[in-house]
Amino acid sequence: MKFVPADHFLIMALYALLVSGFFALLWRDGRRERLKLFGVLMGALVLGGLAVAWLMYPFPS
Amino acid sequence: MSARSATGPVADRRGRALIGVVLAWLFPGLGHAYLGRRRIALLYALIVTATFLLGLSFEGRLYSPDRSQPLTLLATFAVYGAGIVNIVARLFSDNPGGSILAVTYEYGCAYLLTGGLMNLLLMLDVWDIANGRKAR
Repeated sequence: MKFVPADHFLIMALYALLVSGFFALLWRDGRRERLKLFGVLMGALVLGGLAVAWLMYPFPS
Repeated sequence: MSARSATGPVADRRGRALIGVVLAWLFPGLGHAYLGRRRIALLYALIVTATFLLGLSFEGRLYSPDRSQPLTLLATFAVYGAGIVNIVARLFSDNPGGSILAVTYEYGCAYLLTGGLMNLLLMLDVWDIANGRKAR
């Protein structure tokens, strides 16, 4: 049973959301600090993933 | 008597830490709940369980050791980190090996491994909190 459509970007973004939330809770104390780390990790994971995908685009499959 | 009173609290703390770590392994967040951090325990339980269940829904593989592929030992260790969630999934899953032909198979494996590894980190966190190495 699939809860999420098989969409590559959606699955990647959901993964980034879960991992960022987890490490923001684990590594920081206080709402403000956690939100800040969550934003940094989420941005890095999603934008990093898109950057790697873009860099690999010219390569043949 | 003085030696006993000096080691008593340390032994108590160690015992508390061990119970916390075992509970943390059994179910994500349970160790934190045992140490009185109920709100954060609930959030950890939600995140780790959701990650693991999504991995199952993506038809990822619940790894078991395979002699021909030594790295499966590490993967098995990671997946077993999820405690009872992993064991229940193995018992009730029609296909614990995942569906290698499914388009989401690799994502499923990544989610399952991540869920288990997250819980292993939570076990270490519980140990640190119980031993006073991390602020409560």
